[in-house]
Amino acid sequence: MRIPEPDNQSNLSSSYDFVPEAGPSCVTLDKASHSNGINKENGYSAPVSNGTTSNGSLTMGNGLAKHSSSITRVSLPGTTLYDDPYLDREEFVRLVIQSLRDVGYIESAATLEAESGYSLEAPEVSEFRQHILRGAWADAELLLVELGVTDTDALVDARFLIGKQKYLELLEARKTTAALQVLRNDLAPYSTTSDQEELHVLSSLMMCSDPQDLRRRASWDGASGISRRQLLDDLQHYIPSSTMIPQRRFSTLLTQSREYQRHRCLYHNSLVDPSSSSLFSDHTCDKESFPRITTTILEVHSDEVWNVAWSHDGTHLASASKDKTAIIWRIGLEAEPSSRDCIAEFILRDHPYPLGCLAWSLDDSILSTSADHLILLWNTKTGALMKTLENHAETVSALVWLPDGSGFMSGSLDRKIILWDMEGELRESWNDIAIRVTDAAVTPDVRRLVAVGMGYNPPPALGTLGRANVRDASPPIVSNGNGSAVGPRSPENRMIIYDLKTGQVELSVHMEGELTSVKISEDSRYALINHAPDEIHLWDLEEFRLARKFTGQRQGHHVIRSCFGGIDGNFVISGSEDRNVYVWHRDTGTLLEVLGGHGLGSVNSVAWNPRNKRMFASCSDDNTIRVWEAPVSAGELLRGFGISASEPEMFGKGKGKVKQPWAYHDGGF
Amino acid sequence: MGMKYRRYLAGERIYGCSKCKTHLATIHSMISRAFNGQHGRAYLFDGVVNVIEGEPNDRQMTTGNHTVRDIFCVKCATVLGWKYDRAYEQSQQYKEGKYILERNLLVDVQ
Repeated sequence: MRIPEPDNQSNLSSSYDFVPEAGPSCVTLDKASHSNGINKENGYSAPVSNGTTSNGSLTMGNGLAKHSSSITRVSLPGTTLYDDPYLDREEFVRLVIQSLRDVGYIESAATLEAESGYSLEAPEVSEFRQHILRGAWADAELLLVELGVTDTDALVDARFLIGKQKYLELLEARKTTAALQVLRNDLAPYSTTSDQEELHVLSSLMMCSDPQDLRRRASWDGASGISRRQLLDDLQHYIPSSTMIPQRRFSTLLTQSREYQRHRCLYHNSLVDPSSSSLFSDHTCDKESFPRITTTILEVHSDEVWNVAWSHDGTHLASASKDKTAIIWRIGLEAEPSSRDCIAEFILRDHPYPLGCLAWSLDDSILSTSADHLILLWNTKTGALMKTLENHAETVSALVWLPDGSGFMSGSLDRKIILWDMEGELRESWNDIAIRVTDAAVTPDVRRLVAVGMGYNPPPALGTLGRANVRDASPPIVSNGNGSAVGPRSPENRMIIYDLKTGQVELSVHMEGELTSVKISEDSRYALINHAPDEIHLWDLEEFRLARKFTGQRQGHHVIRSCFGGIDGNFVISGSEDRNVYVWHRDTGTLLEVLGGHGLGSVNSVAWNPRNKRMFASCSDDNTIRVWEAPVSAGELLRGFGISASEPEMFGKGKGKVKQPWAYHDGGF
Repeated sequence: MGMKYRRYLAGERIYGCSKCKTHLATIHSMISRAFNGQHGRAYLFDGVVNVIEGEPNDRQMTTGNHTVRDIFCVKCATVLGWKYDRAYEQSQQYKEGKYILERNLLVDVQ
């Protein structure tokens, strides 16, 4: 829209305040006669002499007159921006005016107001804003009603907020008597019963010896800080948004759209780079940077591999197998898979039974493995066995190191969860819990422990005595009360959420099928549970409800595990009984990939590399472990050999029979 | 094939492997106590868990010719008894598909 050519007297006035958010432009419009000097603040340095019409420093490129008569009002039909009825032109224009003002383009904002006839806000609103920012509390309070805060409750709340700020500022300035006045006259009468506690806290602040202490105690950053702005934001809640538009509204909307694009990007697995994201095009990640190709096959185990776990620094991988050994692999850090060294560093052989699970300590110095009911602690630097723990009576199915470094936790089918310290000494034992634990996980914020397992039915003959030991989670058992012989019932599968500190049960949920795996997301919000047959459940731990189900994979007989993966835990991957690895987009449940390659049998477990977000490992009944990566890193090399990415050639490598899918060249190709 | 946890039973009386206490059967699935095995008394059960079955063999027993498989504990692999595949006498056919567990190799588990 072209600005009409201004008159010769294009004197720009700079007499209004240069606080970008304040100062209604309608004020300047009324001051029609300005002919002051043209040195504007904010560094618009080009001098504008009389008679010139263009001012090069203005982004608009044209000089502007402040006379309302020189900008013609453009009147348009209808009220919508485009044809779409959802976009109201007035709202849009006012948002643009606000944004222009925020940035500092006051002239453009004024012109826009003149041309469109819409003004950002009524003068009372800007006055109100000014009052709050300057601390003119009484004036601000008076304006509240005019701004549309008519509901008595809202009025009371708003007055309370203003009164509180006034009080705190007076205290900060050491004007205690005045502060006391405020407390008595303004705060006390206006507080509701729920505010009583706050009132007490505020009165106790009188005792503060110096402003520093006051600020700390009230978590308030002082009159000169952002607290006044914060107050404005808080008061925003009470004022209708069309009267006073929330601060930086456009920016909020654009952030929402960025979030939406990010949410829609199914293969999103890259760090958000501000320089690469643009408002002009939607953000999408393509499949090429998603790990879909096997780059390494580790084949040393002589029997089924049941579990894998990455060390926290992403350089080592530990695997647990039916052949009664665990192997610690070193996965080299080179980006090029072919030049990488994957060596079986240690083979841990002292297990009398097949291994079920394993876990690295936080600093990766200890690896804990479980073989039936035994727990073994290994030194990962030397491969030596440190300790064997025999406290459990049945298979240990879960080993988790606590994120706060206080030790680790073991869960077992003997209905015990035991907390150990870093040396392997028993700290605490939760006996006779309601389930035989088949897996357990601890939230990264160390608040909760989520355990899944098979319900336990106490022998009916013992009656109430049998139930006395059981933690309060199991429901009243229906038909055992009368002591008659009840046939073996299939166990009732449950998920139980415990508060880690107290051991109290927060939630106990009955589930229909066998539960074989539980993992928790990085933000401690979601739990991922494998649920036979053929389902994976995502549970929301804050709202205590099922958030999503993932389907497609097969599970019915075996213990299959899954995990979160990718940046922000954007993906869910799982093993399956049909030889494939399944990948879903976590937030939408879309099945993204079905990755084949493993041999006959189930893919038992998967683990995402915690450091390299483009790599994960899977292990299977075919005795191998596969490392998967993005085609981008592997593709160049594979294409150079004319080998298709999906059918890697096998070449022996010599060291520990680790097979790499292409010829081992040192140097160029 | 794949990882599986051992089964756990529920009931008034649970019999388990004497060596490793693995659950095997409950009294609810017991059919008869009037059997004899190589180690003395033996019980006939309808359903038994946590056992691996061996190869079928023909054996002459006091009651006639039968095809049986030895059964082993999944955890400690001790022979616990056998399973009847086929009975060649008409009167013995009720045993087909059922399991014999030797009393001496069992222990009460609770």
